[in-house]
Amino acid sequence: MRYEMKPLFKQRMETLLPDKEDFEKYNKIIHIGPESFIRCNTIKIPIEKLLSKLKKKWNVVQPFSNYPEIMLVNQNLEPGELGNSLEHTLGYYYIQEISSMLPPLALDPKPNELILDLCASPGSKTSQIAMYMQNQGTIIANDLNIGRIKILSTNLEKCGVTNAIITRKDAIGLCASLSKSTFPKFDKILVDAPCSGEGTLRSSPKTFLMWNPKLIKKFSRQQKTFVAFALKCLKKGGTLVYSTCTHAPEENEEVVDFALKNFPVKIEKISLPLKTRQGITSWNNKSYHNDVKHSCRIYPQDNNSEGFFVAKMTLLEEVK
Amino acid sequence: MKLHFLKSKEKRNLIEELEKIYGITELPYLLLETGKQKIRGFSGHLSKEEIVQLTRLTNVEIIGAYLINKKDEEARISFDAIQLFKEKITKNIIEINNQQLQLWLRGYDLEIRAPRGIIILKHQEDFVGIGKSNTEKIFNYVPKERKLKTKIS
Repeated sequence: MRYEMKPLFKQRMETLLPDKEDFEKYNKIIHIGPESFIRCNTIKIPIEKLLSKLKKKWNVVQPFSNYPEIMLVNQNLEPGELGNSLEHTLGYYYIQEISSMLPPLALDPKPNELILDLCASPGSKTSQIAMYMQNQGTIIANDLNIGRIKILSTNLEKCGVTNAIITRKDAIGLCASLSKSTFPKFDKILVDAPCSGEGTLRSSPKTFLMWNPKLIKKFSRQQKTFVAFALKCLKKGGTLVYSTCTHAPEENEEVVDFALKNFPVKIEKISLPLKTRQGITSWNNKSYHNDVKHSCRIYPQDNNSEGFFVAKMTLLEEVK
Repeated sequence: MKLHFLKSKEKRNLIEELEKIYGITELPYLLLETGKQKIRGFSGHLSKEEIVQLTRLTNVEIIGAYLINKKDEEARISFDAIQLFKEKITKNIIEINNQQLQLWLRGYDLEIRAPRGIIILKHQEDFVGIGKSNTEKIFNYVPKERKLKTKIS
């Protein structure tokens, strides 16, 4: 079944994409399923070995020379085919949309760092972070709901992640407890915030139906609070990556603008393996801090991906 | 979460057992035992004290990865830990063919004669699971959620 954008959603997207041709490209691609990206799980298998195994059955390419772990299965697949292979069962690869791999790339995790993944479930990004950390250092992977924790735990187990501690608490409560205690401050924090999901239309067409402007406002308030509390847990010079899978500026640039105007943070330029567009500096008669433009918007029509938003900030002074 | 970190002596005993069954001679993890006699391994850099502090600040649900089940008479490595230990496992390995692999991944026991006890199954270069032999067949221990649901082609 083909769903369509609700009128207000369409109007907002036309404002974000004022070029008519660009909007038409967007409106076309959101009705096509996403490509089949996978990420080699180097905790369990070297990249070359996995590639050689997969090439025996599929047309697999590595589109990004700097990130050979990212692979694209470039052919039509039967439903569930990627998930039913021996290699998937053994946790050799993780099925993950390319845009969802970007926040961990922006975070640039290193072995021996202390990292907080504040909204971690289902664990795609957590397992990617653990992989880059070579299972060293520590990840605190938090989520709120016990059902989501189970999915997170299953996925981390499958990927052979041994350097993670899974916690269950609301993001604000966790950050408040940690920041008031003597627990070490984090080197890096990922806030991959719950959002209205406008970027996931290709894999989850029901988002067309569920889209609701009230939710955008609600998420925006929550996201700002998450960032504010997360910054209290970050060490001076530490990195916070904020990401969502939505295009709504209220949930993206407005949150980054809030951080810039209320905390000692600097927005960093990010180099990502996809075509990105600058963050916007005004929306609905609101002007944002000029540095918001260093944030990255990822549109589906630019890369044949899902939509995403990623911003990277450095904390200049510890927040009390 | 009630934490039980394995003491050095307990860890030593466990490694001795793993060496006897699998040929594994080291466990480079902080080991914890959970309620169901499951041993989890944590490779992170937080100290025991910091982990305990964390449990006082929030609900800690899981630490590290599930490595070993001690409920049976022999310590049984978990399905995913086999991949983590694959360079170290040298004993009780049986090679299976493609047809047997297809059955195994779907949860079937394999009619293979092997010495009684724990068996590691290998298909070509991959360690594909752990089972228990009664000398006549190898009983399947692939976790339910990991079994393939598709028909054998």
